[in-house]
Amino acid sequence: MTVDLSVRIGPLRLKNPVLTASGTFGYGDEYAHVVDVKALGAVITKTVTLEPRAGNPPGRIAETAGGMLNSIGLENVGLERFRAEKLPRLRALGATVVASIGGETPQELVRLLGALDVEDGIAGFEVNFSCPNVAAGGARYWAVPRRLERTLARLRPLTRKALIAKLAPDLTPVADLALACERGGADAVTAVNTFVGMAVDLGQLRSRLGRATGGLSGPAIKPLALARCHEAARAVRIPVIGSGGIMNARDALEFIAVGATAVQVGTATFVHPDAALRVVAGMRAFLAERGVASVAGWRGVLLGPPPRKGHA
Amino acid sequence: MSPTRPAWRQTVGRIVRQLDYGAGHRWLELDVRPPFATPRPGQFVQIVLPPIASPVLLPRPMSVASVSRSRDALRIGFLYAPVGIGTLALAGLGAGAEVEVLGPLGRGFPLEEPGAPVLIAGGRGVAPLLFAADALAAARRDGRRGRRPVMLFGARDRAHLVGLEDAHRRLVAVRGRLHVCTDDGSLGPKGHVGTLLERVAPGLRGPLVLHACGPHAMLRTVALWALARGVRAWLAMESVMACGTGVCRGCPLPRSEAARAAFDPARTPSLHGNQDWAMCCTEGPVFEAGDLDWERIE
Repeated sequence: MTVDLSVRIGPLRLKNPVLTASGTFGYGDEYAHVVDVKALGAVITKTVTLEPRAGNPPGRIAETAGGMLNSIGLENVGLERFRAEKLPRLRALGATVVASIGGETPQELVRLLGALDVEDGIAGFEVNFSCPNVAAGGARYWAVPRRLERTLARLRPLTRKALIAKLAPDLTPVADLALACERGGADAVTAVNTFVGMAVDLGQLRSRLGRATGGLSGPAIKPLALARCHEAARAVRIPVIGSGGIMNARDALEFIAVGATAVQVGTATFVHPDAALRVVAGMRAFLAERGVASVAGWRGVLLGPPPRKGHA
Repeated sequence: MSPTRPAWRQTVGRIVRQLDYGAGHRWLELDVRPPFATPRPGQFVQIVLPPIASPVLLPRPMSVASVSRSRDALRIGFLYAPVGIGTLALAGLGAGAEVEVLGPLGRGFPLEEPGAPVLIAGGRGVAPLLFAADALAAARRDGRRGRRPVMLFGARDRAHLVGLEDAHRRLVAVRGRLHVCTDDGSLGPKGHVGTLLERVAPGLRGPLVLHACGPHAMLRTVALWALARGVRAWLAMESVMACGTGVCRGCPLPRSEAARAAFDPARTPSLHGNQDWAMCCTEGPVFEAGDLDWERIE
């Protein structure tokens, strides 16, 4: 049987619910020689900021049991180079592109969104409200519901494209953040970004990262992320995009079962560059085998009482 | 800069043999098939263990120590030390086991550079230099230009001169010279390879081109020696990595002041580094001495 994998995120219709997580798929073209990016639900690009950022000093990566810590620090080419160099290549690839944007203040996000909304080839925006690795404008700054709501209320009138808010998992209850985003006018929330974590080099008696802490991703966080996704999906009527430790189709289907409309694949891509495509194929096969005609029919089967409208 | 498509692919590699190689090291050979491109000396691959055998999440970056052709396959050799849980698990795999191999990655040694090649190895850092000696021998056999290489090989003791016989055989094949030293004096002069370089270099006909791999402290010594004398030197660096392809931005090395001043974003692919940091996986792992800030490298 053919399974309908298409999903809707606000004004955006995606051919399937599998997206690449920001920061794990470059600007969309780096893996294009081994991954058919048109076959992905969407490519979410590396977070772009107004000015280029050089990123944090080494170490930036530390592997831990079932996971990895990163302290990249939002290294990116900045708005101008993104516009002049990256967007033309993305347009040529024909992928559905969601641009991730990051700012230290609401005003920076207003400027970024204003500058990028007029560009062709961007289907939506994900606002990175949750980077754990920057000194200013990171997860801690944005994990304040009223600030999120006010900021999204300023961003909403600037674009008719999909506007997604990516949330931090470990500072404020995710339900509170998600509700604030919904009130502010977001089309969807992503639950969740990495968890703050730490690893120590006992030989040198110091952190294994250049900064004390980093963001933990990978299978180690999947149960935690799944619970945050479930919490967000019960709290809001807008779509929730599940993220955190998804390595294969079964992981993705767990997130959808607890209420996610779509999912993001991140760290898995560092192991298998085509991991997101493998998830799409595995999801289709799993649902077909179960006789489930559409991914919408799988969504929220474990959302639990009370059943909410908007979650079929 | 016009975008250049990366050449790497991820494919299945079948282990052909795996042997003890002395002092706790292993020699691993595996076959990969097209479209896997032929690695060059100094390049590396990322090995993913089969899920059932893997205690780790991320791929392991492994420097290539040899390449040969076997029917329609490419046979790639690795010399490594099982020091962590990932490489220990790899060491437990025998002939016939399959792993996933992503590569070839990074930029290797520019062996075609004019000058007399001096291959400088510290311990198991000899791996890519065995491959470099093979490549230099092949170039001479094919009648391409190329001077006879000299290899300087140092380690803490005689046992840790891993692959010494293989190194010797290769240098004989190319009619080059092999000089060894050990920290404890158990073979060759006592001292490290920097001291050996000071001793041997005056007797060599220049201009010299150094190609080195080993611990960063050794590479710093070689780089500073070369910079002080205007000798070109290429150093194979190491870093913790996640993706190995420039995407994750996880393996920065500090650029020198001169490299920072000369940095031109318009001519630098974004998979490479930025003005402050060079990515080890895409710009390296082989760097020219003057491009890195050796005081800030650990």
